Amino acid sequence: MFGPLGLSLAPYVRSSRTLSKWLTPVATWYANSMGYRKYGFKYDDLLCEENDTVQRALGRLTTQEGYDRAYRLKRASQASVLHAPLSKDQWTPVSEDVRYLEPHISEVMKEEAERQNWDNLVVERK
Amino acid sequence: MLAARASTARNAQRIARSFATVVDSTGVKVAAVDYNQPTASVTVLVKAGSRFEPKEGVANALKNFAFKSTKTRSAIGTVRESELYGGVLYSTLGREHLALTAEFLRADAPYFVDVLTSFVTSAKFTRHEFEEYVAPLVASEAEAAAHDPATRAIDAAHQLAFRSGLGSSLFAPAHNDITVADIKSYASAAFTKGNIAVVGTGIDQATLASLVEKAFAKAAAGSAASTPASKYFGGETRLESHGGPQTVFIGFGTTGAPSAELAALSAHLSTTPSVKWSQGLSPIASLPKGTSVQPVYLPYSDATLFGLLVQGTTTAGVKEAGQAAVAALKAAAKGIKAEELKSAISKAKFAAASAVDTREGLVNALGSKAFSGSEISLESTLSSLDNLGVDAFSKAAASLLSAKPTYVAIGDSHALPYADELGL
Repeated sequence: MFGPLGLSLAPYVRSSRTLSKWLTPVATWYANSMGYRKYGFKYDDLLCEENDTVQRALGRLTTQEGYDRAYRLKRASQASVLHAPLSKDQWTPVSEDVRYLEPHISEVMKEEAERQNWDNLVVERK
Repeated sequence: MLAARASTARNAQRIARSFATVVDSTGVKVAAVDYNQPTASVTVLVKAGSRFEPKEGVANALKNFAFKSTKTRSAIGTVRESELYGGVLYSTLGREHLALTAEFLRADAPYFVDVLTSFVTSAKFTRHEFEEYVAPLVASEAEAAAHDPATRAIDAAHQLAFRSGLGSSLFAPAHNDITVADIKSYASAAFTKGNIAVVGTGIDQATLASLVEKAFAKAAAGSAASTPASKYFGGETRLESHGGPQTVFIGFGTTGAPSAELAALSAHLSTTPSVKWSQGLSPIASLPKGTSVQPVYLPYSDATLFGLLVQGTTTAGVKEAGQAAVAALKAAAKGIKAEELKSAISKAKFAAASAVDTREGLVNALGSKAFSGSEISLESTLSSLDNLGVDAFSKAAASLLSAKPTYVAIGDSHALPYADELGL
């Protein structure tokens, strides 16, 4: 229910012009202060991938997206070994920090829910 | 007795009547027959066979994409809901047509017509479905075909005989670069109203027409696909294969509409005996042990491939059987006894008539004519066979032999005979 794939008020905030005007700077500040961008990550690189759903979603990335993700993970672990963030020109710009994986995950979750629904369907004769 | 006579009269009337008339329902051709079968079937025939494909294997991929997710329901939804209704869904690919078929209980027509038409009008063609479900199917079909010498021989023969168009394979190449975008663009070009015919069995024509009209209301209008007219070339090829029988295909092609002569020739040479455990009366009935010869008669809209498929366990046996088959073919071209022709014609007529008894045969018979919009009846096929004379038969066989043969050898290619060794 909570976490990156849980309930979110973001769509509501985005739909309201006033709210998004007020909250966008706060959100940007918060995302920057999390520090993942300094290690060249995108937000979706942080999602817990050790489960079937996300593994299936990862399989649906294009080859290019898959390579890029692997590169970011490698580069960040090297930076972690060195105990220092990347140089500033390698930080993820806000424009590139997009949810590239989340649509695939929600698609997979929808399919799983549908399968569950069909598996447990009770058919009634009319 | 009166009642019996009345029912005979009714039956005679029913036989004399054509199977079905093709009506145009908002641009889509609809034909249906209803013999009060307990189950019904609807086939959506699309002119999207391998002859129209822009890139090798795309037609096969589109066939395997059938019944995946559409705007109306997901792939799993289609499967589970069809199971609840107790229907069967399948798609088949020919060189001319792609057929999407549903078989179901008579009351469930609206649902199954919707399943078929929603794929035609609003398939999603998602990339992950292609990679997760369709690509493995395409690969395994190509693999299975590569392991069956007969399928491989007939595929190779088409390529030699017609090169492009009808020559393109029903299967995808083993290492292909088909993308989902290729399939999508092929589907959007093929799934237009002028390119589609709907054939129903066990369903009323008016009911089917109204269901189709509703479903295709928003479909893209477009004219029927066309390709350059087929041309016959012929040639020889030898392919290596491991396992499976030694196979030789001796083929001949003609262009133009399929003729009764070749159907009769195929029946004349057919080694299938009419009585079980007998040798049959075919001129190639006595073959070396462990070999078989099957006539292959494949009529298409503007060309025909006729041939003899010779299979055996040893290359020596195949050579002997091939020589016998070619000798029989040449004898038929020189002349045939009137009574032999008579029995060949009866056999061909029975084959044509009994094909219509099965659902697939009926759909094939209706489908081939549905696009031309002509009156469909068995009568015309049977009467054209009836009018066949000895001279016309031999002339057709001779003109067939005068063209360059299509020769395919599959197996131990160093030991299998060459075309000239069989007397071609």
